[in-house]
Amino acid sequence: MTVEEYAKFIEFFYRKTGIQFQENKRYYVERRIVERMEKTKSESFRDYFNLVRFQMDGQELQLLINAMTVNETYFFREDYQFQALIKGMLPSLVRGRDKRHALKIWSMPCSSGEEPYSIAIHILEFWDQADLWDIEILASDIDSKILAEARQGRYGARSVQRLPAHLLSRYFAPIGDGLYQIRDELRDSIDFTLVNIVDKLQTGRYRDMDVIFCRNLLIYFDDVARREAAEMMYEALRPGGFVCLGHSESMSRMTSLFVPRKFGDTIVYQKPSSAE
Amino acid sequence: MALVKSKSGPAAASMEPVGGDVASLLLSLSSDDARARRNAARELADHPQAAMALCDRLEHERGPSVRAVLFTSLIRLQSPDVAGRLAMHLRSDDAQLRNGAIEALQEMPDAIAPHLSDLLNDDDSDVRIFAVNILGALRFEEAPRLLTEVLRKESHINVCAAAVDALAEVGGMEAIEALEELRARFADDAFIVFAVDTAIRRIRAD
Repeated sequence: MTVEEYAKFIEFFYRKTGIQFQENKRYYVERRIVERMEKTKSESFRDYFNLVRFQMDGQELQLLINAMTVNETYFFREDYQFQALIKGMLPSLVRGRDKRHALKIWSMPCSSGEEPYSIAIHILEFWDQADLWDIEILASDIDSKILAEARQGRYGARSVQRLPAHLLSRYFAPIGDGLYQIRDELRDSIDFTLVNIVDKLQTGRYRDMDVIFCRNLLIYFDDVARREAAEMMYEALRPGGFVCLGHSESMSRMTSLFVPRKFGDTIVYQKPSSAE
Repeated sequence: MALVKSKSGPAAASMEPVGGDVASLLLSLSSDDARARRNAARELADHPQAAMALCDRLEHERGPSVRAVLFTSLIRLQSPDVAGRLAMHLRSDDAQLRNGAIEALQEMPDAIAPHLSDLLNDDDSDVRIFAVNILGALRFEEAPRLLTEVLRKESHINVCAAAVDALAEVGGMEAIEALEELRARFADDAFIVFAVDTAIRRIRAD
């Protein structure tokens, strides 16, 4: 790939996905493009790029996106968003709120559980009002196998490597073979449910959420499915509630329903308080 | 206090009826309750016979959240008739409605294709610019040829600039001659010269 080809490709990819690759990711990007060129038997970058741009069903673009993204999760991943939850979103949500109304946080997709458990740990450890409120954490995924792993709460050393030692010992028990078992009290405090985000019947059951964490999922969707997912989250949230997306995702590329809010180093998306 | 499990669970939480027959959904499109209108618009995406009713509703709907769902459902129900109705909003003074229509039309290449020629030849230069914006983002193999035609026939500099911008991304070698002609035609305009040079450099890099 020439410099111009690379520039053109990353601009296109950003427009389609919101994911931005800089020059220092060039090797990573090129390797994956070459792999997809081989799979599609494209003879040149231009042939492949035309396929990605003009294929009617967008399937190759989707496969390219899959190849470009890494499905890796671990405790405290992108924890600046959890800090924003503690320092910005939760204080904003409880202002003037009746304490009888539980705060509801939805993590979806929750994968093997690192995200909802990280949310729970942050709330318990770092939010000084945690004891004043009922807080429900719901965690959903489309994959029943991964949900079973989340419920089991057993993790390898790599998964917990970003946890400070005192939190690791407080919330986990070593069970040998480099594995850690999350403590029952934490495990039992989270509702794990099987949900397909594009199933209106299933998602229609989720209402009155205060915060939705939906990180690094929508990049796998096509444009219209993204719009529908954003509209589903709008329905699921209370007025004034927040959506947290992955660091490379942007709600403004999907819908204008939400208002961007900056908390610390992160931008989250708020359903207007005046929303009908 | 602190972490608790929902007593009822999400399945029972404020569950609302989803679905219904088409006639009652159409009736709900005029409900005073925005959520009921959104639900109806969302459900009607499964009923192609409701497409024109959704287009009708869009003309009267003022709620931004309901409009958003109407646009999404119309993308699902796309057809040349739907695209024609949406294209009418390119003339709207309501920027939110106009932008929503542009974004929706960018998602329906086959449906908007029969209307592109008319839009690109519209008397209103703003409509022509919006048509070029749509064309530049369409998954449509004819897009580079149509954009090149714009460069050759269009007299309004802002429409030409929009076409150059689009060709920088989707154009091929066949567009270069028209781009060079445009640069000669607007040789005194520094922006056009810069935009054309950038587009040509990008295309040659392919």
